[in-house]
Amino acid sequence: MEELFSKLADCIEFGKIDEVSPYPPNFKGQTGADEITAQVLAKGASAQDVLNNALIPGMEKVGVKFREGTIFVPQVLMSAKAMKTAMVHLKPLLKQGNVKQKGTFVIGTVEGDLHDIGKNLVAMMVEGNGYEVIDMGTDVSVDAFVQQIEKTPDCVVGLSALLTTTMVNMEKIVKNVKEKFPHQKVCIGGAPVNNEFCDKIGADNYSADPQGVVDFLNTLAS
Amino acid sequence: MTSRERVLAAIRHEQPDRVPVDLGATPSSGISAIAYNNLVNHLGLKNTPTLIYDVVQQLAQPHCNVLDRFGVDVLDIGRTFNSQPTDWKPISMANGSEAFYPKWFSPVVQPDGSFLTYDNDGKRVLSKMPVGATFFDQTYFPYVDGYPDSYEGLDVEMGRIMWARDVHSPWDHAGDDDFWQKLRENTLELRRSTDKALLVVCGCNLFEWGTFLRRMDNFLMDLLCDQYNVEKLLDQLMIRHLATLEKVCNAVGDIVDIIRFGDDLGMTSGPFMDEETYKSLFKPRHKILCDYVKEHSNMHTFIHSCGSISLLIPHLIEAGIEIFNPVQTNSLNMEPAFLKNEFGDSCTFWGGGVETVGTLNNGTPQQVKDQVAERLEIMSKGGGFVFNTVHNILPDVPPQNIIAMFDAVKAFNDR
Repeated sequence: MEELFSKLADCIEFGKIDEVSPYPPNFKGQTGADEITAQVLAKGASAQDVLNNALIPGMEKVGVKFREGTIFVPQVLMSAKAMKTAMVHLKPLLKQGNVKQKGTFVIGTVEGDLHDIGKNLVAMMVEGNGYEVIDMGTDVSVDAFVQQIEKTPDCVVGLSALLTTTMVNMEKIVKNVKEKFPHQKVCIGGAPVNNEFCDKIGADNYSADPQGVVDFLNTLAS
Repeated sequence: MTSRERVLAAIRHEQPDRVPVDLGATPSSGISAIAYNNLVNHLGLKNTPTLIYDVVQQLAQPHCNVLDRFGVDVLDIGRTFNSQPTDWKPISMANGSEAFYPKWFSPVVQPDGSFLTYDNDGKRVLSKMPVGATFFDQTYFPYVDGYPDSYEGLDVEMGRIMWARDVHSPWDHAGDDDFWQKLRENTLELRRSTDKALLVVCGCNLFEWGTFLRRMDNFLMDLLCDQYNVEKLLDQLMIRHLATLEKVCNAVGDIVDIIRFGDDLGMTSGPFMDEETYKSLFKPRHKILCDYVKEHSNMHTFIHSCGSISLLIPHLIEAGIEIFNPVQTNSLNMEPAFLKNEFGDSCTFWGGGVETVGTLNNGTPQQVKDQVAERLEIMSKGGGFVFNTVHNILPDVPPQNIIAMFDAVKAFNDR
């Protein structure tokens, strides 16, 4: 089993989706995340084992390599796709409730802003690190965030913006969320955002890359 | 030196008499209509209507009085089109101030206050400007579910992409029967009437067209796992780009000084792709485009690419690119001194003169002046620099800071 977990972690790290997937070339003809996940579950591994021993270690390596600039967005997207393929097998088991995910992360691009590449990368990376992710999409209003927090009060909120003209809406959302839920943790990210802005608007964390969000969530979860 | 001589000297890496300046010669070195309105009101300029010539990004075409006020040295030849008041119609912008759209642009306001644009049949939504936003975003991606078996319909689909459909002048007139003749006549007239350098915007985007057609996430993955289809699409794009370049070179290649290509290859944290991917898929095609321009015109080659692209700059230079914009200095490995030391002898930087995120929008006028002076000191030595902001001046930039920015350039030039 250990060997299969290790192979599955490699599939996540290097973006090998399934046997027919042509990428990466040096995995040609080998089974991918799809087949190996089915295989380990059939052999009796629990969803928790698959998450802890393969998906999370694989995705962690992706996050670190992306942060260090040794891989680029296309490679991260391929890893995320491999991870999602594995999750298709795990989701029915996760729904049965006997798997402990690390927490819930609610993420959205703030109102007025339709850009979602960065937000999607963060969502994928966080999910691959063992969290339930509720992706609210783009152009998300204050009210929509507040309603979601009422449904999932233990969640951490992530706000994304690409534009200097919409990052001001982050301030509005953080203010409203903190007024209604003073202990709710809110993290922010996006091209125009930085630590200084994070402090100014009273958010709890700024990350320059997806792995930073994972690190922040792991700190809260530990 | 005349303005044109100044710009050309900078591109040749000869020290010009003063640092040349751009505002609005390209759709990535311009000013948003809201910021422009605030600026002309602050300056007390009359009869300078705010013409939103780039409707996607909501950019104003700066009036010649504004250009002269700030000593701008270069013009976009697109401004010779839509020159009659009847070419424009009044609108009210998000902040309630007045401006004008080209008469052909009619986005539809929605009950929530957002704006949508539609295909000719009125059914398919092509782009959206949400409430609170200040430009349109593409919502229709024709090949999102996969590549077509045949590219017979490519022109139609490209025509549905907002960047082509709602394109700025002169290209909004490209369908006119006498367009190419008119382009030449207008450009000749502009050359006769101004001593400024002239620039033509001619996208020839490759990577970006892939993202427009397939959507960003799909196309990025295609670069790794479906290079066969990526190359087939790029070859189709090259056929169209070279046909356009031939016409541009024939019409204005002997009059215009600079041709501006576009292809956003970077994000703030690094390029979208690794060097090998750029080298195998895009570099040879960028070289073909640059070679064509050099063989068939007098124009210098300019590329607009956002983000951290220092890893790719040597390859773009080898492909034949001479000028880089917007020089996104807040990105990884894009610090002004690093760029100037590393690449300053081999290319011209057009932009990067002040941060549009942080300093220009949120700084004090003195902070703006200080940063501009520091950047000019680093970037202007030995030519190879045209002053401009990092990308367009956005709506949140106060007019006092725009004036401080140009005052700092003037003070540097007057030393």
